[in-house]
Amino acid sequence: MSESLYRDVLKDHMHHQRFAGRLEPADLKAVVHNPLCGDELELTIVLVGDPSEGTHRLIQEARNQVRACSICVASASLMGESVQGLSLKEANNLGIAFREAMETGELPESPPEFLPPLMAIRKHKSRIRCAALAWNALEECAQQANNPT
Amino acid sequence: MRSLFEARSDFPILQRVIHGHPLVFLDNAATTQKPQPVLNALLEFLTHSNANIHRGVYQLSEDASEAYEKARQAVADFISVKDSRCVVFSRGTTESINLVAQAWLRPRLQAGDRIVLTEMEHHSNQIPWQLIAQERQAELDYVSITDSGELELDHLEQLLTQRPRLLAVTAVSNVLGTINPLEMILDLAQRYEVPVMVDAAQAVGRIPLDNWAERCDFLAFSGHKLYGPTGIGVLCGRFQRLDEMSPWQGGGGMIAKVGRQSSSWAAIPARLEAGTPPIAEAVALQAAIEYVQQWGVSQIRQHEQELVAHALDRLAEEPDVKVYGPSQASKRTGVVSFDLEGVHPHDVAQILDETGIAVRAGHHCTQVLHERLAARATVRLSMALYNTLEEIDRAVLALANVRKVFS
Repeated sequence: MSESLYRDVLKDHMHHQRFAGRLEPADLKAVVHNPLCGDELELTIVLVGDPSEGTHRLIQEARNQVRACSICVASASLMGESVQGLSLKEANNLGIAFREAMETGELPESPPEFLPPLMAIRKHKSRIRCAALAWNALEECAQQANNPT
Repeated sequence: MRSLFEARSDFPILQRVIHGHPLVFLDNAATTQKPQPVLNALLEFLTHSNANIHRGVYQLSEDASEAYEKARQAVADFISVKDSRCVVFSRGTTESINLVAQAWLRPRLQAGDRIVLTEMEHHSNQIPWQLIAQERQAELDYVSITDSGELELDHLEQLLTQRPRLLAVTAVSNVLGTINPLEMILDLAQRYEVPVMVDAAQAVGRIPLDNWAERCDFLAFSGHKLYGPTGIGVLCGRFQRLDEMSPWQGGGGMIAKVGRQSSSWAAIPARLEAGTPPIAEAVALQAAIEYVQQWGVSQIRQHEQELVAHALDRLAEEPDVKVYGPSQASKRTGVVSFDLEGVHPHDVAQILDETGIAVRAGHHCTQVLHERLAARATVRLSMALYNTLEEIDRAVLALANVRKVFS
């Protein structure tokens, strides 16, 4: 039932989005759209660390500026909470786990904390796209980092 | 003539229960449900008469060919086109418009030419023109709309004075429900000798078309918005216009004689119907047209008027609802798009679905229009001949559930 979906699981994140807004300047930035409804999400990321000095590049901070439905907002909020301090690869792996779980309907053995609350969305196939927006932006940022222009 | 109150029982799908509630289907601008006679026609043809057309000499093929051509004649009669050769079957409105763009306008379009559209066009009457305009370095102009969602006819005239290659205009907005003054638009276009493509997807079967199909250069619509099946649409046009079109798609059925290096083409409409057409769908479209004719478009129009007037009244009582489009019901078909303050349209539609109410949320394939309305997305109620006043009430009452969840 989507009422319970809204009420119990994601409502807090919908109303109080974590890591909202945009970072300026940012090391990485991606703007993604949901072509079905025109919704928009902008992810900005500031990195820390320098591989040339022997330290890994990690996400110091990631923020989502969202103009979208509540499912997208909640998913972006959960994503924001999950990726702070991770490497881009680790963060992107969470995105892969999200997509796999949405596709199969099964949680991995020890699921990342953000994932179980999102499983309720799977019943509403058209909304998976809404929840995926933040992870799509992260994937785009990870690609940018791998292929700097 | 039967009263429309009896219509519901003709639509088996309306018996469905969704999440424990009777289905309220209010997404009829996207597609309409199918009455039993249409379902029967489809099944009957595929069960007893199926064969490819215009190819076999055997009885079944003869029967199928005859049924297909009878459907063409039924369409011509329905939209008051005298010559059934001027009715081309396509897969839908989108394909019909792309056909005109590719086979008629593209070879005639030169750098610096202009094409006039309106701010309320569906993407299907925008993107086909944009594609060829980009290729040929032509320009698109958009007729402005007023804040109440009506075309600015002065602006239209101003754009027509530049002698564009084509005016592409919708008869009815799929978002605002606005019924455009097509008579006046056709008069203006005639004065400036500008060919007109009319997107009639939201008009056919909902409002009387008068003699538009004979007056404009091209007119397109879909079967599935007319209680018929998906996969069938119509392009009708002036004989001369269609006849000067080169083939767009090549294949079987559209040739006169085929050689190794070059070929010659069949006459219209076959020239524009390459490959095996949607035969069963054409037969079922005829059944849909007959179904609509049984009620009469005037009666359907009157019924949808009552529904939309009621919806506008009910929504006006909700202080947090903003309705887009003309405030007078008489200027609309049964379409109302709105915004519920503070809740994204997707979320509104999702919660309405909980009580079996099917509405559409999003930009409804009109991003230019939504930009003009300064709305990212809207919720749309769109009605058909089988909807009732009670269903409108249920949809409006259900907004209370949305507020509860998002309070």
